[in-house]
Amino acid sequence: MTDIAERRLALSHMYVAFIAFILACFMGEYQVLERSGFISALDSPTVYFASVSTHGVLMAYVLTTFFIMGFGYYTATTSLKVPVWNKPLAWGGFGLALLGTVLAAIPLLLGLASVMYTFYPPAQAHYLFYLGATLLIVGSWVWCGIMIVMFLQWKKDNPGEAVPLAMFATTMNALLWLWTSAGVALESLFLIVPWSLGWTDTIDPGLARTLFAWTLHPIVYFWLIPAYIAFYVFVPKQAGAFLFSDEAARAAFIVLVVFSLPIGFHHLYMDPQQAAGWKMLHGIGTFVVALPTFLTGFTVIASLEIAGRLRGGKGLFGWIGSLPWTNTMVLAVILSLLMLIFGGFGGLINASYAMNAMIHNTAWVPGHFHLIFAGTTVIMYFAIAYYLWPILTQKPLYSNNLALVQLWTWFLGMSIMTTPWHVLGLLGQPRRISSVVYNNLLTLSWEPYELLMIFGGLVLLGSACLFIYQLFKTQFSNTSAVFTGEVEYAEPIHAVGTLPEYLNDIKIWNKVIGVLMLISFGIPILQFFFLDTYDSSAWGF
Amino acid sequence: MTELSEEERKKILESAPVGTWALMIMVGASMVVGWLFLYYGVFLPRGMLN
Repeated sequence: MTDIAERRLALSHMYVAFIAFILACFMGEYQVLERSGFISALDSPTVYFASVSTHGVLMAYVLTTFFIMGFGYYTATTSLKVPVWNKPLAWGGFGLALLGTVLAAIPLLLGLASVMYTFYPPAQAHYLFYLGATLLIVGSWVWCGIMIVMFLQWKKDNPGEAVPLAMFATTMNALLWLWTSAGVALESLFLIVPWSLGWTDTIDPGLARTLFAWTLHPIVYFWLIPAYIAFYVFVPKQAGAFLFSDEAARAAFIVLVVFSLPIGFHHLYMDPQQAAGWKMLHGIGTFVVALPTFLTGFTVIASLEIAGRLRGGKGLFGWIGSLPWTNTMVLAVILSLLMLIFGGFGGLINASYAMNAMIHNTAWVPGHFHLIFAGTTVIMYFAIAYYLWPILTQKPLYSNNLALVQLWTWFLGMSIMTTPWHVLGLLGQPRRISSVVYNNLLTLSWEPYELLMIFGGLVLLGSACLFIYQLFKTQFSNTSAVFTGEVEYAEPIHAVGTLPEYLNDIKIWNKVIGVLMLISFGIPILQFFFLDTYDSSAWGF
Repeated sequence: MTELSEEERKKILESAPVGTWALMIMVGASMVVGWLFLYYGVFLPRGMLN
């Protein structure tokens, strides 16, 4: 299939994603240095908060959204073996998202939007920031629409056939993102934008935080699902074996998408505007999401075990050593799963209603989300990029050894940086502060951990530069060699026959999500319109 | 890469992933132990908020 237009579309999205990524990495290292207070010349709360807000927006919104869109377009075209539907519309979505990014960047870099990537009111940014963020989201909705149309068209043209797993998961992610972003879209449209433009004098931070909580947890799964897609559809093939179970993979994606949405209140455990019953309900839901994570871990590791045994590995764990550790995708998934174990454990502590009080708003929290997002997720973005870049540019990867070094250094840097971050949280260091130099015994005891974090950050920055260097050299080297490989998707051990509709369609799950969201968020949102005072009962009424 | 007979290959593909089960049990158990340690060893000893 000639897919020059699709390759260009995917590459353009990834350029934006990785430019945002490398800029954000430099800011991250500056922040850890400034925050430590070791270099007094760097001390500046103003610059710190401008930087930390830009770092968060670039990493959490720009890197992720553009990467997911680019990867999604190429997954759709290669798994369904059809061209991307309505390419002018896809480019329109790209343009909108890029325009939004530029508009948001202006106030961010001018220090007029130092509100973190969560932009909780009453902290207020320049209206251009909110306008830009909105355009970025609207651009991503175009992608969602195209994925869903391609999914439905393919099903119509191939009745009774199983939608390829990669496309099923991509479309579930598009559905997830439409639901996820609805919370922040409502917050922006009805609360923040009118307020930032001066059309309203006041804002209800409780309602705003409730709507943002709607978005804040499932957005993590929106970022994570491309990594899971690579786990299931690339890793087994790269390891030289088969996917353990296609059906288990679909079940994991369904449970992940359905249960990641109605659980956002574990971010509001300490907030007064929601009652304890709702928080408990969301807390239980949060633990349910651990199930698809374990199912994914099991299915992917079982696929690796088969690969290791087919390569001659014996005994209970002998297959691990037989895996092709020099394959970037295989190495990345092993490192990613290791970080998922520790990051996932941190998440269980966050989600535990009582223990959350111990680490709430402490350094533990950024330690956790860096390990899950920048660790587990982003290392798979690297592996996907290493896999796709030669296909998209038709040039062989510059250096496999360099890619392996980059993946190992990212893993080591992330471990070195996030471990002391967690410890600092347990020691009581607050998050969202620009300085920790109070010169008392407590804060002095934090210094060795700060030093370790700076070192970890430096390793990460070096690793990030290596990554960009590798992509640049791959695409722009003078080699005459042409890479002719294509995307290869893993086959399951047992070929997929006819699937029940619930494992092959998104409509039923859309309805289930609607019902669960109504249960989880209906009263908690409506209460703002019919309650005059806070109530002490378990369910707020 | 070890050369396997068709029979050996089929056996591997059809056998239960015991190594995976063992790893998952170890990870799951470690998480439970870690959670209990933090709850009983760190959280509760800190006592009530003043």
